Amino acid sequence: MLFNGVRKADLARARGCGNNEMERTMAVSLRESVQLVSDPRNLDSSVEEVFQLMLGVACRRGSVAPVKEPESVTAVVGFGGLLSGACVFSSGSGAAMRIAGLMTGMEFEETDDTVKDAIGEICNMLAGAWKGKVPDLSANCGLSVPAVITGRDYNLRVQAPEFQLRHFYRFENTGFAVTIVCDGIQ
Amino acid sequence: MSEIRTLIVDDSSVMRKIVERSLRQAGLNLLVVHEAGSGTEGLDVLRSKQVDLILSDINMPSMDGLEFLRQIRAQNLAPGVPVVMITTESSEEHVKQAILSGAQGYIRKPFTAEQVKERVLSLLHAV
Repeated sequence: MLFNGVRKADLARARGCGNNEMERTMAVSLRESVQLVSDPRNLDSSVEEVFQLMLGVACRRGSVAPVKEPESVTAVVGFGGLLSGACVFSSGSGAAMRIAGLMTGMEFEETDDTVKDAIGEICNMLAGAWKGKVPDLSANCGLSVPAVITGRDYNLRVQAPEFQLRHFYRFENTGFAVTIVCDGIQ
Repeated sequence: MSEIRTLIVDDSSVMRKIVERSLRQAGLNLLVVHEAGSGTEGLDVLRSKQVDLILSDINMPSMDGLEFLRQIRAQNLAPGVPVVMITTESSEEHVKQAILSGAQGYIRKPFTAEQVKERVLSLLHAV
């Protein structure tokens, strides 16, 4: 699975603009920080922060996958720069509609464009919060705009990632999964 | 405080609504809010409407927030109007780029209404 959604302008900006800046930035490597980058606590604290601040709900990591619903919603935000990969949010339509409801104050009966927009933004904030936990990653890794997929009976498969974190979370009486996939690190 | 005319630029309609709600929670109840889904649309709004405050996302398709900011300044579309960038990007480099492009304020997503209030009121009082 390739994540090519990060625009060149974002990468150039993420890496700095001038030649000197570029040289300085290119000298930065995340290789020695893999332990820090892949620390699972960073993902947990990012999820808790985003849900508390934007939805006003407590969200905690769970040990089991959410109950499968007929319809699924998946949002993907790509990483590009020193780390390439993606942040993937996935839930059933019920959880997605509840999240959108908490964000907007509206009620939803289907996964319409507003729900997809809300889930894309949640994934965007999760990706930003997660990479913000590691300063070198924050400064040298760009984000793509979110892509949102809805449907039934589909699977996402990533071939041989460098590392992958997949955590389940619960809020109120529903849940979702967040996956960080790293398919390349410099 | 008199009527505040605000332009909110974000490709997410949900985020535009959340920013507007945060501004209202900040006590700016007499807002006139113009919305734009991209930097290009934002420039179109500024060509036809006068505003007192601009809040813009950075990471948007088509024209991103930093280019939008540079175009505002280059075309002298909203002279003296404070611009606050609202974005998931929070590194010092991104803040520096935003300031160099002409932003007066920077709010990181996720944010609280209190943070929006603090940034916006300090800028409006400074104008």
